[in-house]
Amino acid sequence: MKKSLLLSVLLTTSMVVAACGGNDGNDNNNNDVDPGNDTENVNNNDENAGNEDNNNNEDDMAEGDAPQGGTVTYGYTAPFAGVLDWSFYGGVDDSLALSLFNGDGLYVMNSETDFLPEPNLAHDWEWSDDNLTVTFHLEEGVMWHNGEEMTAADFEFSYETIAHPDYDGPRLSNVDRIVGFQEYRDGDADSLEGVEVVDDHTLEVTFNEAMANNLENLWTYPMPKAHLEHLEVTEMEDSEEIRQNPVGLGAFEVSNIVPGELIEYTAFADYWQGAPNLDGVEYRIIDGSQAGELAAQGEVDIIELTPGQASQLEGNDQVNLEEVEALSYSYIGFKLGTWDGEEVVMDNEKFHSKELRHAFAHSIDRQGIIDSFGEGYGTVINAPESVISWAYPDESTLNQYEYDPDRAMELLAEAGYEDVTGDGFVETPDGEEFQVNFFAMDVPADIAEPRASYILQNFQDVGINAELMDGQLYDFNLFYDLVEEDDPDIDLFMGAWGLAADPDPSGLWRKNDFWNFTRWSNDESEELILEGLSEEAFDIDYRAEVYQQWHQLVNEELPLIPLNSPVNIYAITHDVGGVQAGARDATFEPHKWYREQ
Amino acid sequence: MLLYSLRRILIMFPILIMISVVVFALALAMPGDALSGQIDPQNANPEYIEEMREQLGLNDPVHVQYGRWMAGVVQWDFGRSTVHKMGVTDLIGERLPNTILLSVMSLIITYVLAFIMGRYAGRHPYTIGDYSIQGINYLMLAIPSFVAALFAIFIFSFQFGLFPSSGSVGSGVTPGTLDFWISKLHHTFLPALVLGALTTASYTQFLRNDIIESSQKDYVRTARAKGTPENEIYNKHILRNSIIPIVTLFGFDIASIIGGAVIVETVFSYRGIGELLISSIERRDSAVVIAITLMLSIATLVGNLLADLLYGVIDPRIRVE
Repeated sequence: MKKSLLLSVLLTTSMVVAACGGNDGNDNNNNDVDPGNDTENVNNNDENAGNEDNNNNEDDMAEGDAPQGGTVTYGYTAPFAGVLDWSFYGGVDDSLALSLFNGDGLYVMNSETDFLPEPNLAHDWEWSDDNLTVTFHLEEGVMWHNGEEMTAADFEFSYETIAHPDYDGPRLSNVDRIVGFQEYRDGDADSLEGVEVVDDHTLEVTFNEAMANNLENLWTYPMPKAHLEHLEVTEMEDSEEIRQNPVGLGAFEVSNIVPGELIEYTAFADYWQGAPNLDGVEYRIIDGSQAGELAAQGEVDIIELTPGQASQLEGNDQVNLEEVEALSYSYIGFKLGTWDGEEVVMDNEKFHSKELRHAFAHSIDRQGIIDSFGEGYGTVINAPESVISWAYPDESTLNQYEYDPDRAMELLAEAGYEDVTGDGFVETPDGEEFQVNFFAMDVPADIAEPRASYILQNFQDVGINAELMDGQLYDFNLFYDLVEEDDPDIDLFMGAWGLAADPDPSGLWRKNDFWNFTRWSNDESEELILEGLSEEAFDIDYRAEVYQQWHQLVNEELPLIPLNSPVNIYAITHDVGGVQAGARDATFEPHKWYREQ
Repeated sequence: MLLYSLRRILIMFPILIMISVVVFALALAMPGDALSGQIDPQNANPEYIEEMREQLGLNDPVHVQYGRWMAGVVQWDFGRSTVHKMGVTDLIGERLPNTILLSVMSLIITYVLAFIMGRYAGRHPYTIGDYSIQGINYLMLAIPSFVAALFAIFIFSFQFGLFPSSGSVGSGVTPGTLDFWISKLHHTFLPALVLGALTTASYTQFLRNDIIESSQKDYVRTARAKGTPENEIYNKHILRNSIIPIVTLFGFDIASIIGGAVIVETVFSYRGIGELLISSIERRDSAVVIAITLMLSIATLVGNLLADLLYGVIDPRIRVE
């Protein structure tokens, strides 16, 4: 359920990144993440091993006597909308800005915590016996920037704002499992029944159903009640209190906003985890094509780079490059059916042969794609999940689909696809021409075209008559428009998903999910997905085991061919330390950042 | 004159309405809408997106949407930006000062450069100096602005560190103070230079050719025959006449003052109208796209009118009666 659409894994142009609508920040979790320290627990990844020492040093420094003072500039490449409140923000552009001054939620859930919830604003929580009610014990002495103390009422305020009948933002799914949601949303109740403020530092939330990811799904951010309660919910988004003078509880407070361009923050001495090392932080929007050079010049201190930009900075002693697996993956999907308005119907017979789908998988040189178009950054995957997630299955149990044209040809033959006309391309078992349309997006501009040609060549090498659909690449919006409406010309489509910390596949893989773009439905898969959310799955080991089975099923059925799990690369100025590059961004724990003087 | 102006102004209305129909239809014809970028099961769900489309009226027939939009426009309400989540008029108001500053600065640079070069080339035609000026001009004209912008950033920002490479204002300055304005000018200079220098060519050629032409006219010969010093002939008799066509070009520049420089603003991350237009197109923020396009159309129409009027003011010979 916690996945979002990336137009492509290897996003380059800044505006297009924004266009994907925020592949992160999307969830109830913190968008904090961390460096390679824990990656070996999650999944081994060779590329990350090199960073570990480096990161450890920085962390040690940050804990001890880090240098004080100075400012650090965090760069991003698409202008921010400036909706500086978690309940209303839309995309990554604003979530980065928010993380810098208001990054703390009830719990932390990121790659540093193996994507499992760990205490933050709530130092402790416990479940009732029926697994329906969770009681949070909040930290005391957490101060908002306006001098008020954070209390449980701030959380209640936040939930009631989102569930309010007038709320038209996209966060409903983070509160809709709370008891009394529907009544409150419909205006039949004055408050959310399932949220109870026991005392200033104790909060109880009761859910309708015991589901394994209720906690992970719950909204974690408080809203500064004293600052906002005089506003109607409809006024909040446009209000000065959110756009010009936002109040957070992070280590830095907003001191100046230049719309779409720059936000300046100054240190907040009363930060509950201790005053930050830096005097201030800046969040600056720059042109994406100059990101690498600006990092080398020290104009920005922290910025995410494309593989192409990063490869040019390797060996530059002004900049440290940090790599961390991204929480996303790219894939090539088969169109197996259509959407009938209620659920998916697998009514496209073209790819119903499993051998045929396996043949396609064996024909693609996935490592070759990474090497040729991603400068080698990325990991070949065989399951639709990021390698950094705890739910990523044991590779040894999965079909590897290694690049093997001979095997692909064998499988084609087994499935009955043989070249009977002698034109070099296979025909269907019925002897009809087998022509495959490959549907791809035109981003990132520099590699989209050669990458598509490369894949087509792979197919043609084994005798599959594959062509670019209509001989062209498609604009992002048009691409997903056509994928959504199951355009009959689409056979194979290349897309990408951004993921959230919780690995629940609902939203993309269920029968009744509109965004199940392959239109694949399978009873066993349905059962496993539900099992993964059952009460029994409160036990994380059991839940992991369920997802393991689910991934094996998907790996065998192969409704889509997973391509790779990409790597995020951050350039960090050499004299800036304490920064933890994460699967989403590098804004985790900014109070530990420091600059060597 | 008054009647002429009035007629010109009146005829603008049907033109504007036609433009608005075309712009509106084209903006809606773009595949996808501002919500299609939000395919994101975590952030939203298909029901939410459908609900929002319904709420924003995106599912209505085009003419219904147009009618609703037009009803808003006559009340000075251009709709709401889905991406920026604020009113379009506020959004444009936020960006417009930057763009105007940039354009005015670049125009000044253009005029100064064109004046100096055109005057020199016109006075010394077919010399090495003239040819070099023409060479430089055509080179500038030929360089795409994004290349020039990147070169300027590389040389002036990265190599010499003279100017900032992005943004429209520095950090740590309070709006309204002297420092603030200095910082703004400092940030604006480089993009303005690129923008101004690249468009110098046509102005220079205009001026040069006019000076050459005028210098062969009878009144100049007469002045020469009277023994008027050469300097005085050029500065007084020729230049004043030759400047007329350039001044009238100002009218046509109005559209570009408001429209900004799409590419240069983007490369320099200079938040102005041009940059807003491009990012809004990419993100299918149609309310913003329509408003900006319409604004540019008006600016062009008004600019043309102004150019014609200015012409009459400056050159009584062609005053319209």
